[in-house]
Amino acid sequence: MTDVTSLRPIAAVLVSAIAVILILASHRRPNLRESWTILAAVTKLGLVGSMVPGVLAGRVYVTDFGAFVPGVRFALRADALGVLFALLASLLWLVTSFYSIGYMRGLDEHAQTRYFAAFAASLSSTIGIAFASNLIVLYVFYELLTVATYPLVAHDGTDEARAAGRKYLAYTFGGGVAVLAGTVLVFWLTGTTAFTPGGIAALATTDPVFGRAAFALLAAGFGVKAALMPLHSWLPDAMVAPTPVSGLLHAVAVVKSGVFGVARVVLDVYGPGLVGDLGVGLPLAAVAAFTLVAASIIALRQDNLKRRLAFSTVSQLSYIVLGLAVLTPVSLVGGLLHIPAHAFMKLTLFFCAGAIHVETHTDDISNMAGIGRRMPLTMSAFGVASLGMAGIPLVAGFVSKYFLLIGTVSAGHVVFTGALLVSGILNIAYFWPVVYTAFFESPENGDPKPLVENALGGRYAVDAVTDGGHGAENDDHGYAPDHEGQGPQDRHEAQAHIRHEHGPDDSLAWEHRGWGGGESTWFMLGPILFAAAGSVVLGIVPDSAVFLRIVRLIVSSVTGVSV
Amino acid sequence: MSDLPALLVVFPIFASIVVLLAGLARSRTGWPIAALASVVQVGMALVLGSRGFGDEPVRYVVGGFTAPYGIELVVDGLSATMVVLVAVVSLGVLGYARTAGPRSNPFYATYLLLVAGLTGMSVTGDVFNMYVFLEITGLAAYALVASGKGGRSALAALKYLLVGTFGASLFLLGIGYAYVATGTLNMNDLSAQLAAVGYTSPLVRVAFGLLVVGLFVKIAVFPLHTWQPAAYAGAPDTVSGLISALVSTVSAYALIRIVFSVFTVDFLAANPFARNVLMAGAAVSIVVGSLLAVSQSEIKRLLAYSSVSQFGLIIGAVAVANGTALTGAAIHLVGHAIMKGGLFLTAGLVASTTGARTVDEFEGLGEYLPVGAGSFCVLALAMVGVPPTIGFVGKWYIALGAVEAQAWPLAVVILSSTLLTLAYFARLIERMYFREPVATSSSVETAESKVAIDVATDGTGTPPSMGMWATVVAAAVLAVVLGAAAFEYGQLLEPTIEHLLT
Repeated sequence: MTDVTSLRPIAAVLVSAIAVILILASHRRPNLRESWTILAAVTKLGLVGSMVPGVLAGRVYVTDFGAFVPGVRFALRADALGVLFALLASLLWLVTSFYSIGYMRGLDEHAQTRYFAAFAASLSSTIGIAFASNLIVLYVFYELLTVATYPLVAHDGTDEARAAGRKYLAYTFGGGVAVLAGTVLVFWLTGTTAFTPGGIAALATTDPVFGRAAFALLAAGFGVKAALMPLHSWLPDAMVAPTPVSGLLHAVAVVKSGVFGVARVVLDVYGPGLVGDLGVGLPLAAVAAFTLVAASIIALRQDNLKRRLAFSTVSQLSYIVLGLAVLTPVSLVGGLLHIPAHAFMKLTLFFCAGAIHVETHTDDISNMAGIGRRMPLTMSAFGVASLGMAGIPLVAGFVSKYFLLIGTVSAGHVVFTGALLVSGILNIAYFWPVVYTAFFESPENGDPKPLVENALGGRYAVDAVTDGGHGAENDDHGYAPDHEGQGPQDRHEAQAHIRHEHGPDDSLAWEHRGWGGGESTWFMLGPILFAAAGSVVLGIVPDSAVFLRIVRLIVSSVTGVSV
Repeated sequence: MSDLPALLVVFPIFASIVVLLAGLARSRTGWPIAALASVVQVGMALVLGSRGFGDEPVRYVVGGFTAPYGIELVVDGLSATMVVLVAVVSLGVLGYARTAGPRSNPFYATYLLLVAGLTGMSVTGDVFNMYVFLEITGLAAYALVASGKGGRSALAALKYLLVGTFGASLFLLGIGYAYVATGTLNMNDLSAQLAAVGYTSPLVRVAFGLLVVGLFVKIAVFPLHTWQPAAYAGAPDTVSGLISALVSTVSAYALIRIVFSVFTVDFLAANPFARNVLMAGAAVSIVVGSLLAVSQSEIKRLLAYSSVSQFGLIIGAVAVANGTALTGAAIHLVGHAIMKGGLFLTAGLVASTTGARTVDEFEGLGEYLPVGAGSFCVLALAMVGVPPTIGFVGKWYIALGAVEAQAWPLAVVILSSTLLTLAYFARLIERMYFREPVATSSSVETAESKVAIDVATDGTGTPPSMGMWATVVAAAVLAVVLGAAAFEYGQLLEPTIEHLLT
């Protein structure tokens, strides 16, 4: 690898930071304001994209601002791992920006200026995380990301949103403290925190007790944002945020920054070899394996679509952590490749949930019977992405999961292989009902759903306020887990309750909309179809899509083995 | 040799007299004179400050009586920092005071006297001289707190006077013991003589204990902080901004001076108990100060308890007693002064614009006072230690120092102080941005709430001036920008810290 001094890494960070100012300044002119967002997203993608060929050719772009604290330089380095994350985030930001416009305007949301400004600031921090050259710089942007995303979580200003915001701050700043503590320990042990492919050499010769303690602190700290159990509970609550936020930040940027942190620690701070020697990889893998199974089981019982997706995210993130913690080159490839794969698929799913919410104000799966008639394109995209989640071939999830399975088997950890397979089956079990109910059921003719409807199933569904008391401006963004007044099923039940003699009424069925895009605006359909197409492309031709090449490069530079 | 060190102390006293005399001829002449004097003071402080960062401290002997018999003024990197900080902050607060008041000439005379006292404490190399300046500072501060209208200020000032004098008396007693043990008052000489007497001698130990506890009162370390919330909350907004930024800060500087220049690290090494007490004081102050801050409903009291917690970090750095931690202490002293002074002034600005003085009244502030709320938010986040602000850099050095010294319990407390600080500031930030503004209260209600809180400000009712906005925004910008400059500053400070630790 050769270092090339370049201003491109810092420019990629700053472009959306400058956009924040422009967005705030043009708060009276929404069209101008949104054009700043789009312009910044395009520029950012261009800047990051322009570094990809160089990085694939073995170059590293560096912006160095000199010492920040003794022994630590405030420098940004666009290496392969950084570019992987930055490219993903900036590409999907562009897509999400269009979707945001459709979504926020569709719902006529309040405080849109704050929303777009915070979104741009979040992306600045995300790119900063991607390009951070050492743990301190990473920590700087990691904390800034927390600050920048807080307004998005608490966006609604309802009691529920504020509570979610508080929980979010407490969890993520708590994680930040653990990261800082781990960083201090690493710095104290080695006198540096700079990322070195294969690990900081001096760390191998230090007291293993401190080495393990620092690893535990770092893994736990990043594990908060990566939603490892038992530190995951902020994520389902944060679904109260507008759906583009849930989509880009809570399925891609924020949670992946946690995963990315774990990847940096495993690959570039400790190195896979030392992680294995210290014996800390296995406990981390065990936590991840537990999380991915447990979260899948919990997801089975969520009737609210966004909550189900949130637990699916918790589960899928642990795939990545598991891949990193198993430490074999193949599993590393699988874990890292799952970062973009999951991003495309989960973004599709969230976009679909958001589109359904905007168009029909339906949030609960039990109310979605027959919704495939109303939103055919959206639900088809949903179906494709959920197939990918389950690891069906030809969609992105299959490729990464294949590498993960091979990796765990070759490492001899058959238990983890089993966990992955079980989770795959559970994935089908919690996604298929959504597709099934959308296309093959109708409001007046549905099958019983014992898993969701039985007594225990209400455990996560009753503790929130009902929608009835809120005015239009307190939109719950598809989150509020109540079961009243949302869709034909509720109306049907209410009506049947009042006038028994009338029975089912045909007018309850969804009106039919064609496949030509009449179901929603193209501001939302476009991003949905793009993300869905992306997940298919990643699944069919993973080698031509640039992500797998970057991942191979990362793994070969760390382990010396080309996969 | 230039007389600049002495001039730096004498000039504000002189200006103070001028202000007082000018007041006899024409009222309301205080501000322009004080402003002019402060500008000159800043200039002198910068010149002297730049000299202080050499390998050897600048020494100046007052009146030709050579040390150790005469009074010596010593300016090293740390005292230079304090001198510049005092001059700059007092000038900045003046910018705020012009419209916010109080406006009387005696107020500005006292103001300059406080500057003189603080500068004197920073440059002196003689413990008794330090006591004298400590008292000048104290008396000026009591008077400033009392300058608000209404009973609350007077009561706060009385409480401050009683507790503060108690602290100063302990300090004086400590000097007495040290003098009995060694027969000298010059700091340099004292450190040599104390070593000769022996660090485990009861006289020396008692002297250390009295000096440290006396300064604890002045710094407001838990449980000796009781004067502070009342004083900060009862004083006019201008004064809260000034004394919260400077008085405890310079007292903490005095503590560093006493512990390291007079008693030296060897004393701490010989008396682990002393070190443990410092550590315990630090940890308790951080935790309890934050918990008390969380339970406050009035903004200024909340900020006051936050100071109790933040100075715990400084005491922690003193207890750790290595170069990294002391660099952190110096950075955090400067950072805290900027951030806390800025927060108090912002709170004052908010109060004079909207009448909001309690946590609940901050609801929806982001809507109708975006710049004020934004500045408050930035300063609060800096205080929490969100990088890359100055608040983070100070905390990083102190935490790293604690880890280097392997003081694990203290390191844990220091790191978790982030969350404790977040606990009280997140409440405010959430209220400012994510709650609907409180229903526009009628004038009757506003009057009632004012009576209920009974805070006196001369300037209430006047719309905030450019000076007030500028000061507040400048503080917020500095809190972020200084974070980038902290490393160079730490480099500059290296010779001084080395000097302190040997």
